[in-house]
Amino acid sequence: MRKFLTTAFLLLLGWTLSAQNVSDLIIAEVVAEPDSTGILDDYGRQLGWVELYNKSTGTVNYGGCYLTDDRACLRKSLIPKSDLRTKLGPRQTVMLFCSGNGADGTFYAGFTLQPGSTVYLVSNDGRTIIDSLAIPAGLPKGKSIQKHATDLRQQHWEAEPEPCTPSPAILNSKSDIVSGGELMKERDPHGWILSITSVSVVFAALAILWFLFWLLFDRPAKKAAEPKKAKAEPDAEVAAAIALALDMEQDGDVYAAIATAVHLYLNDTVHDVEPGIVTIRRTETAWNNKALNFRKLPR
Amino acid sequence: MEHIFQSLAQFWEYTGFANCAWQNLVMIGIGIVFITLAIVKEWEPMLLVPIGFGMIVGNIPMFPGLNIGVYEDGSVLNILYQGVKQGWYPPLIFLGIGAMTDFSALISQPRLILIGAAAQMGIFGAYLLALLFGFAPNEAGAIGIIGGADGPTAIFLSSKLAPDLMGAIAVSAYSYMALVPVIQKPIMLLLTNKKERLIKMPTPRTVSKKEKIIFPIVGFLITAFIVPSGLPLLGMLFFGNLLKESGVTKRLANTASGPLIDVVTTLIGLTVGASTQADKFISVKSLLIFGLGLLSFVIATTCGVLFVKLMNLFIKNPARKINPLIGNAGVSAVPDSARVSETVGREIDPTNHLLMHAMGPNVAGVIGSAVAAGILLSFLG
Repeated sequence: MRKFLTTAFLLLLGWTLSAQNVSDLIIAEVVAEPDSTGILDDYGRQLGWVELYNKSTGTVNYGGCYLTDDRACLRKSLIPKSDLRTKLGPRQTVMLFCSGNGADGTFYAGFTLQPGSTVYLVSNDGRTIIDSLAIPAGLPKGKSIQKHATDLRQQHWEAEPEPCTPSPAILNSKSDIVSGGELMKERDPHGWILSITSVSVVFAALAILWFLFWLLFDRPAKKAAEPKKAKAEPDAEVAAAIALALDMEQDGDVYAAIATAVHLYLNDTVHDVEPGIVTIRRTETAWNNKALNFRKLPR
Repeated sequence: MEHIFQSLAQFWEYTGFANCAWQNLVMIGIGIVFITLAIVKEWEPMLLVPIGFGMIVGNIPMFPGLNIGVYEDGSVLNILYQGVKQGWYPPLIFLGIGAMTDFSALISQPRLILIGAAAQMGIFGAYLLALLFGFAPNEAGAIGIIGGADGPTAIFLSSKLAPDLMGAIAVSAYSYMALVPVIQKPIMLLLTNKKERLIKMPTPRTVSKKEKIIFPIVGFLITAFIVPSGLPLLGMLFFGNLLKESGVTKRLANTASGPLIDVVTTLIGLTVGASTQADKFISVKSLLIFGLGLLSFVIATTCGVLFVKLMNLFIKNPARKINPLIGNAGVSAVPDSARVSETVGREIDPTNHLLMHAMGPNVAGVIGSAVAAGILLSFLG
């Protein structure tokens, strides 16, 4: 059971830790062909770019991940592993320029963007696609394709079908941050869903606590006390015998004897209490006692 | 001479008499009633005296702009009030509560934890009713938490969800906590028969020190992983308890459960009381909050007692049956609701001591209400 619990705990821990890994990244925006108003990179060039966004509430290191526009070649452009700047804070964005030469720097991809292609963000295992965003073939120059947060609290994101005005390093959201209250007003106007969910969670949390403590402490403690308890309860045969005796005899001495017997029985004093521990005393002989076998050095 | 009269007239403008409105007098009256109840009836004096006096302080009519009111930035009262507004005080109180609480009753009978969960239905019953009365979901959530019968939790959650209603919610929560014996007893008697009230529960087993030390750590890990939004309250509660149970941090535990909680309780009481300024407090909404708060206590108590009866249906061994009179203790008014169980139990059978058993659901209620607050915060915040 302890092994099971340990495994379960480790699995839970592993699952929790993975909740703040690269899978929390999304491709939030892509500009394939910038126009003259587009932003400049470190070299003063106007390039297409990809914006990544960290949905999680923890920092994510995307170093070692890949960007590609080719489904058949997922390891097309590696994001350097050893750069400390690849750590992306919670709910933060980063822009990666698609210059066609990854050697331009950490924030550069080794391909250029073309309308009609799809950009993929690939995990550091080189196989798992974390997110993708298709660039429409007819995406006008200077426009971007974006994903918008439909619910920033829950981090629900949807791709915007229409081209948008680029918004580099700015959070893409269709509306202002929706408060939970407003959201619940829309989704659960009568409050039943929230109530049932919440009651279930409260019960679940406390039930887990109950189960754990019952399993780890309460059950073993009760088991330890069980044999004594079992003896303490007179079984049906004893009760029937006592009842029969009482029916047959009317003498006070008999009552006293029965009461004494029952008392002794219930208090488990009829027999000696055996400890149940067998102790094997080691008998030392010249054959097994090292001390006896040591050579006695002359003094 | 004319100047003197002018000065006096000007001074008059600054006095409370010139700025007084009937609402101020009503609130001052309520404050005096609170203080009276606390001193004469000894109903939650540690809370009602500071809140009552705070009400008087907050409702002294004054000329605005002197930077002395609780809502005026930079005033002393405003600075102290930040502890309420920003939610600093409630976790500190939870630290003290944790350092004072003995979870042995709960650890020795873990099944009683579920009663603490059942009593939290008062929170969600009040939430549903508040929605029915037209409150916004965030306001309804803040009102619902009154049913948790936990003042610091109510302040913490309302400061996040509905700061405008915090004064009414806090006063309502503390008032009903003080009135726990009055509210709960009739419900308990109504929902139980004599046979049930006479149930004698087995003596709880002795809890080892190891169990007591493990409980706050495991309890915190489980509850905080499930409801991280309850972290400030749960973290401080279990941390305080670990300080107490570890046995090696006695000084810290003593400070948390003594001077620290006393200071924070004084400040929270005074500033919550002072925040009930008439112009913000006297409204139909406040009256509704008081009504819903009462209902939430009623629902919580009812659910707690009925849940014990439900549990008893599944307990085959008569010796292990639970006395439904401890069901009310699932609300987290520690230790008042447990005391009510003891009192009502002894009225029927003077030899039936339920306090020890009732403390189990009672402390479970503290955990349950903090968990419930965390859930409401994550949904409505």
